[in-house]
Amino acid sequence: MRVLIVEDEPRLAENIARTLRETAGYAVDVAADGQEGLFLAESNAYDAILLDLMLPKLDGMQVLKRIRESGQHTPVLVLTARDDKESVVALLNAGADDYLTKPFDLGELLARAKALIRRGKGQPSPVLNIGDLQLNTVDRTVQRAGRPITLTAMEYRVLEYLAHRPRAVVSKTELLEHLYDYNWEKFSNVIEVYISGLRRKLDAGSQQPLIRTLRGQGYVLQG
Amino acid sequence: MRDSIQRRLITTMVLFQSLLTIGLVLVGVSDTFWRLLSTLDTSMQAHAMSVAALVRYTEDATGNVYFDNTLLPSSIDPNHPDLFAVWADRSGLIAHSENWPKELEIPSGPDHHWNFDWNNVPYHALRATHVPILDREEGKAFRPQTLTIFYAAPTIRLRMQVRRAGAFIALAGLLLLGITVLLALRGIRRDLRPLQNLAQQAERVSAQNWELRLPEEVSQVEELRPVAQSMKQMLERLQRSFEQQRQFLGNAAHELKTPVAVLKSTLQSLVQRERTSEEYRAGIEGGLEDLERLEQLLQWMLRLARAEQWAHGALRRDLDVIDINATCEEAIERMRSLAQSRKTSIRLSTNGPVPFRADPEDLQLVWANLLENAVRYSPEGSTVEVAVMRNHGGPAQVTFQDHGPGIPPQDLPHIFARFYRGDRSRTRATGGFGLGLAIAKALVEAYGGTIAAESQVGRGTRMTVELPVSSRN
Repeated sequence: MRVLIVEDEPRLAENIARTLRETAGYAVDVAADGQEGLFLAESNAYDAILLDLMLPKLDGMQVLKRIRESGQHTPVLVLTARDDKESVVALLNAGADDYLTKPFDLGELLARAKALIRRGKGQPSPVLNIGDLQLNTVDRTVQRAGRPITLTAMEYRVLEYLAHRPRAVVSKTELLEHLYDYNWEKFSNVIEVYISGLRRKLDAGSQQPLIRTLRGQGYVLQG
Repeated sequence: MRDSIQRRLITTMVLFQSLLTIGLVLVGVSDTFWRLLSTLDTSMQAHAMSVAALVRYTEDATGNVYFDNTLLPSSIDPNHPDLFAVWADRSGLIAHSENWPKELEIPSGPDHHWNFDWNNVPYHALRATHVPILDREEGKAFRPQTLTIFYAAPTIRLRMQVRRAGAFIALAGLLLLGITVLLALRGIRRDLRPLQNLAQQAERVSAQNWELRLPEEVSQVEELRPVAQSMKQMLERLQRSFEQQRQFLGNAAHELKTPVAVLKSTLQSLVQRERTSEEYRAGIEGGLEDLERLEQLLQWMLRLARAEQWAHGALRRDLDVIDINATCEEAIERMRSLAQSRKTSIRLSTNGPVPFRADPEDLQLVWANLLENAVRYSPEGSTVEVAVMRNHGGPAQVTFQDHGPGIPPQDLPHIFARFYRGDRSRTRATGGFGLGLAIAKALVEAYGGTIAAESQVGRGTRMTVELPVSSRN
């Protein structure tokens, strides 16, 4: 998963980014002002955007409106110091999916971000079941037919993304875009390595392969 | 004991009316007494004459007299017989009433009236001398005699009548007093009701509801109108400063949220997992930095609160006279390194020393805040011009002119408001909490001055401070 943080307090942005990377294994981009945030949001595919409201150059409300005007469905979690009814209503009406008031708890932020990403992909439950594969996004564990499977961090991230979009064809580029931050091109040929690692671990002792490769198109996770 | 207008009014009224009643009783009693006494005198005189008329000469020529007591007049007071005695100048005591005490001392001398008590009965008495005998037969050859008459009537009835009259007046007075007090009490209560209504309305006033509804009757009472008016004005003033405080508190709480959020996230991300000691050290250092910013914001807020308190009249009066130029130089010195880092210069021009009574720290803070803004917004290589002008007969002027991007017209009216920032990008700098200009304004106003901003987008901004330089300075 890849998340954009638009926040002008550098240390706050850094702390959020660190939490998302370390505890959720997400790829994170940080923008320090509204203009940069809008540019990144429009030029990359994010699974969620965390948006501060008080921003230099272009304030958060404007960023939010412009993102929605451009037709993007990316879930937006707004970070605000104001929690009065009017501003919350204005936020939600402008297209925000959720909000958190400062000072917030990083654990809560993470939980809300995960929930937003799940719902954005049509998956209401934090435990994803594809055939006999079970993926728990809360404690990041994987089982197949009741057998626990140990994955590397990168393998888990690839599988998690695929599991959020079961039966859909996911291209290598899409995977790269959603698993790495802005300099993802460097990693273009490592995806195959992770996919083969995943196949080996998931299909061990099983007749049916979980991940299929559609040549020239991408990968499909199917039970 | 608590004082009460009602009690005081009633006490005064009772006291006054009691005195009046006592006076009336005294006057009434003495008037009645003298009137009755004079009536009594008249009757006694008539009775005395009737008694005198009963004295007759004997038929012979001796000129002796006798008393014909067949026609004695009845007593003036039927219950208490009168006393009388008649003497003829030659024959001596001729007659007296049965109850006449012989030992009674009758004063000699000319005719007069007096009072005495006999057997515990009060009497009023008269003595008439040289009373001629009416039965004077013509042609009798003897020298006529004259009579001395003593006549006394008991004054028991008179005294009773006087007492009754006094009691009647006193009773009437008391009754009147009672009625007056009752009416006055009702009247005062009715007149004070608007006051109570006003108090009730005042009780409804609270921080949530500032409106003081003035009852119709209050505005109709001349004495209450000014009270109600000043209450209304007081409430308006209170509400304004309350609103200001509330707004300040709201702003402050809002401003504190971000630094607190930063600090909290720093510490939380530090304890999310086991870290190396380098990571812990870096995290703690970051947390300390966050704290420092928080502390700075608090300091600015306190400084503003203090300046605003001064602006409400608590400014110290024991201040020395200083030169405004010196404080400007000091402030420019403070901003020197910032200006150098931004490659801008600061130029000070003046038309002479401007003495002013102030704490130099306050003025330096004002100038430093204005200068910092000017320097931060100045393009590289430009100059910020500071001018100190002393005008004869007018206020001293200190202006700060920069050649920066200017302030957009929609922001210009708000720049002195607390926590106002046209653009968040300058938040990170000192004073970038949106408090610098608010503090400058509060301080300038504490010294009775004014501060104003003019700006042209693309050309620059000019801040003008005017301070009242009085001749006493």
